[in-house]
Amino acid sequence: MTLDRAWLRVALIVALTLAVPGLLRAGGVDFTDDDTTTDDEGPPYFGFVREVDGPGIADAKVTAELKNRGALVTRTNIMGVYKIPGFGKDINPDDVTISCAKDGYKEANVLRRTRNDVKDPVEVECYLKKD
Amino acid sequence: MLPEERLRHCLPAVVCGILIACAQASAGRAQTLSGSVSSAAEGAMEGVLVSAQQAGSPITVTVVSDEHGRFRFPDGRLAAGHYALRIRAVGYDLDGPQAVELGAASAEVALKLRRTSDLAAELTNTEWFMSMPGTSEQKRALIECMSCHTLERIVRSTYTAEEFFPVLKRMAQYANNTTQARVQWRLAAREVRDDLVRKLASYLATVNLSSAPTWPYALQTLPRPKGRASHVVITEYQVPRRTIAPHDVRTDAQGNVWYSNFVENFLGEIDPKTGEHREYAIPVLKPDAPTGTLDLEADADGNLWLAMMFQTGLAKFDMTTKTFQIFPVQAALDNSATQQSMVMPRAWHVDDKVWTNDVAKQSIMRLDVKTGKYELIDPFEFLAKGRQHSPYGMAADAQNQLYFMDFGDENIGRIDAKSGATTIYPTPTPKSRPRRTMLDDQGRLWFTEFAANKLGMFDTKSESFKEWDVPTPHTYPYDVFMDKNGESWSGGMASDRVLRFDPQSGRSIEYLLPRSTNIRRVFVDNSTNPVTFWAGNNHGAEILRIEPLD
Repeated sequence: MTLDRAWLRVALIVALTLAVPGLLRAGGVDFTDDDTTTDDEGPPYFGFVREVDGPGIADAKVTAELKNRGALVTRTNIMGVYKIPGFGKDINPDDVTISCAKDGYKEANVLRRTRNDVKDPVEVECYLKKD
Repeated sequence: MLPEERLRHCLPAVVCGILIACAQASAGRAQTLSGSVSSAAEGAMEGVLVSAQQAGSPITVTVVSDEHGRFRFPDGRLAAGHYALRIRAVGYDLDGPQAVELGAASAEVALKLRRTSDLAAELTNTEWFMSMPGTSEQKRALIECMSCHTLERIVRSTYTAEEFFPVLKRMAQYANNTTQARVQWRLAAREVRDDLVRKLASYLATVNLSSAPTWPYALQTLPRPKGRASHVVITEYQVPRRTIAPHDVRTDAQGNVWYSNFVENFLGEIDPKTGEHREYAIPVLKPDAPTGTLDLEADADGNLWLAMMFQTGLAKFDMTTKTFQIFPVQAALDNSATQQSMVMPRAWHVDDKVWTNDVAKQSIMRLDVKTGKYELIDPFEFLAKGRQHSPYGMAADAQNQLYFMDFGDENIGRIDAKSGATTIYPTPTPKSRPRRTMLDDQGRLWFTEFAANKLGMFDTKSESFKEWDVPTPHTYPYDVFMDKNGESWSGGMASDRVLRFDPQSGRSIEYLLPRSTNIRRVFVDNSTNPVTFWAGNNHGAEILRIEPLD
């Protein structure tokens, strides 16, 4: 890993920590309204949406799509970072397609990083270029 | 006879005729009621709600005193007669006069207020939330309590944590369409975790009177209305039984008001001009199950649809024949826990399908109107199991694609009407619990984030969100309606206030309501100028109309 690459990872972790706190969702709808965690959750998807050889793109739409079944859609924060909570554990991350979009841009490339462990979050960088 | 002479001869008769007609038209109408509000503590008082109810009438009219302590009811709004007067100004009671006699002439009263000896009795749920010690997470657990009763009931209790435990366990078995006037038990027992109940019980015992005769914290109050918040006329229409629990309210093309009754199987109607009340009995499908309906929606023909809660299924009310067509849930999908709280018939003519939900299965259902059969759609089937989801507020676009609020969690969902594929959009604010919604003609979903104390907008074209904090903490907005002027109107179960909010400027007005008011669905009649706001008081057996004066 080059120095630039290492800094990029550190920046990404910091950005995620600052920008996407408390991603665990709420629990019940009655008076026992506490956080619940579930061991059925698959790995989350995260990464940058950025211009090719350029900065991160804020407020870009990021879609994690499970073909013919459905999708989760979120938007990047001010630094171009997104995080999508995991699908169910029975969903193979290889069946999930990540895409990104923003008015005035078209998708140039989607780069999925190799994971060391199946439990690791799935890092996908999405590159856009201006129309 | 010359024309001038003829006119001269006729003129007295014409003038007399006009005067007689005017007198007949105004017979029984007082000119107006106006007056002043003051107290020894403050002198002239702004923002005091003054309410007048004629003896024997179900209608109460309320206005608000201005910066000079002056109030005035609209000309001709009150008929001649004997009126009981009441006020709302936190910290004060009405010393007098308690009543006024209105004749044909204008009347003037000077209302004197005195400091109350029981401030706690005047606090809203919001003010109790503000007053209680505790973390936001501890208080968060109490936002569901307001569905059935006020927080005053909790804080005035003397239960210890141990004594609270069985009370909370028992209450968990009540149906959510329960009020203090009518408790209803669930047919299917609901599981609750003892550790969470004990945690809540322990907290409640720190904010009630279990350890001392008075509260160990100062009681906080919100300021009285001022400025534009006092430029309003509020009308309350009392319904004939205390057990009636108006939930959703809407007007029809003739200006009549319709409401769903949360705890009884009736559809209600009120003529707002006279206060006349009518009811239409909805067939009871399950005699042992809780009765009452929740969501009340109109289809493109103006016919009304009701979600039948634990009675299960949907009811369509034909506005011409005034009869119901019932669509029961088929046996394969029905059990003792089945509950349809929502219905979305807006675009059913597109594909003969009406959207609804099953709360028990945390799922969407879709009725085929032609066959009467429902299909079950799990919009979360690809997400992790074990989370609490709850499809709730619904809207449909012109193609009958469904948008729904995930009230149990933090998502907005979209279901493609043809493929059935679901797209989930998490709200920017976590733990938001989006509740009710409406779709405007620009394709924008306006919704409340009940647990996050925010209003939200989801643009279905750009698939992007905007969120706004509501101005008063612990408001917990239940529903929002965007009017023709681009202003949103919201209400809820906590603050006894109706919020009017301009998302463009960020300016807001909060109209204080005349009494403790538990608002659910809100509705704005755009046919009037200014617009007219309608809602039910779910625990107060009344319908509310708010007419802003600007």
